[in-house]
Amino acid sequence: MPPKGAGEVLVLGIESTAHTFGVGIVSTRPPIVRADVRRRWTPREGGILPREVAEFFSLHAGEAVAEALGEAGVSIGDIDAVAVALGPGMGPALRVGATVARALSAKYGKPLVPVNHAVAHVEAARFSTGLRDPVALYVAGGNTTVVSFVAGRYRTFGETLDIALGNLLDTFAREAGIAPPYVVGGLHAVDRCAEGGGFVEGIPYVVKGQDVSFSGILTAALRLLRGGARLRDVCYTLREVAFSSVVEVTERCLAHTGKRQATLTGGVAANRLLNEKMGLMARLHGAAYKPVDVMLSGDNGVMIALTGLAAYLHGVTIDPGEAYIRQRWRIDEVDIPWYPWLPGDPPPG
Amino acid sequence: MVPLAPWRPAAGLEGLPLLKRGAEAEIRLGEFMGLPAVFKLRVRKPYMHPRLAERLVRLRTRREARVIAAARAAGVSAPALLAVFPSMGLIVMEHVEGPLLKEVIDRRGLEAGGLVEEAGYNLGLLHRAGVVHGDPTTSNYIVRGGGVVLIDYGLAEFSSSVEDRAVDLHLFRRAVESTHAPLAGELYSLYTRGYLRAVGEGGVEVLRRAEEIRLRGRYVRERRRSVWGVG
Repeated sequence: MPPKGAGEVLVLGIESTAHTFGVGIVSTRPPIVRADVRRRWTPREGGILPREVAEFFSLHAGEAVAEALGEAGVSIGDIDAVAVALGPGMGPALRVGATVARALSAKYGKPLVPVNHAVAHVEAARFSTGLRDPVALYVAGGNTTVVSFVAGRYRTFGETLDIALGNLLDTFAREAGIAPPYVVGGLHAVDRCAEGGGFVEGIPYVVKGQDVSFSGILTAALRLLRGGARLRDVCYTLREVAFSSVVEVTERCLAHTGKRQATLTGGVAANRLLNEKMGLMARLHGAAYKPVDVMLSGDNGVMIALTGLAAYLHGVTIDPGEAYIRQRWRIDEVDIPWYPWLPGDPPPG
Repeated sequence: MVPLAPWRPAAGLEGLPLLKRGAEAEIRLGEFMGLPAVFKLRVRKPYMHPRLAERLVRLRTRREARVIAAARAAGVSAPALLAVFPSMGLIVMEHVEGPLLKEVIDRRGLEAGGLVEEAGYNLGLLHRAGVVHGDPTTSNYIVRGGGVVLIDYGLAEFSSSVEDRAVDLHLFRRAVESTHAPLAGELYSLYTRGYLRAVGEGGVEVLRRAEEIRLRGRYVRERRRSVWGVG
């Protein structure tokens, strides 16, 4: 990596909302992404255990920050601001990231930038696709939301009325006895299992306005399975019905806002079938479609650093003493004064 | 008897001017038995499995027609139904001309308040008929002759449950929050005032539930129990 140049701004970002402790370093000059370090906690069985995650994060936080600085070839003194995801997420995990960020900020006198994790997923999509003003479908373990920028903020046009898409797939896989591990070689257990499956009747399709609901799908799928249906057919249909419904609400948002671009982001964004469906839907409306770069789809520190950079350059900082975590911090509670600016654009002002 | 004017079957609809390509259907303008009419043709979504697409087209077409008939009978200001062809996914109905409530609010802001209250009143009448709309946004009301006409029953259902009714109110609030953000509070309170006027006492519980749904969206506990994380 080249040494830091005059006028160049470097931001270090920390992610710790769920299973990944991520540290990213980004710059206002190419190459924009200078470091991407991740330490990921994986369950031996069941789902996420917040206490275990926090302990794991505490053990690895220091080395992750040091490794990121090494990867970027800079010292902490070269960093202009520290950004941290303060929410939404799991309390114990969030606390580790916040503590590290507050400490770096206080010890080295660096401005601290609060970042909303969901905003960062959308910014990662805008950055990696170059789509400036998209409708974004954000699908992950804990989130299923259709958002788009209107009047200063990302507004929620639709979301799940109960469980999230990733949670639906994980819970079904667990109950059906095909996980953990949930994801192997980039494929979810439900995806692997759906190979060679066909469509069966009996799984409800629930779209209300621009919202979706998955708990009925989960119950019906498990009932079909217990009733003797073939596992691969149930997996196939579950996926077909769930993916079609989120694509349909995205379509409704496109039609409603009249926007001409669509993107897909979050941990489930790497899914091939969901991408195919999104692409077909966008084509139907003459809209451009690109998913987030697969490297930035899952939780990572780079997206926090990118969003932090945009926010920092537009005057968003927080006193370390005020930097509380917010487990339920919604995307539509965050002002986005930098929109549609992206790292790589000329500096503001 | 006056000879019946010919009408175009679905296969020939391409000849009719396209009014709107919605998320779910093509809306074309034409004539049906001499009356200006809207032809609503549901398209089979290419991103869906053919069996799912087929099922949804039939189901939604048939249900939409039944719902419109019930709504009209209950005095809801809705377009008149002219013909239904479920296997084709085609509904033919009266052409309602006028600007969308969304456009009128964009132009006139709170001066459109009376219309918003009227819109809520119509939703109330619909609920009294045992029907929930499923998508009552400001884009689904047309302003005509000093009143509003509630259109697009594509997601409507027969239901009298407090939960489903509350979801309707929640969706309206969501729509004004996303589309008319600075006026959202006032618009929602006007809407609910009209709503209560139509449904009376029972509506209070629905309003309370709508508030609960709004909070539920924010605080869903299950969301925190996944290997994908909150991310």
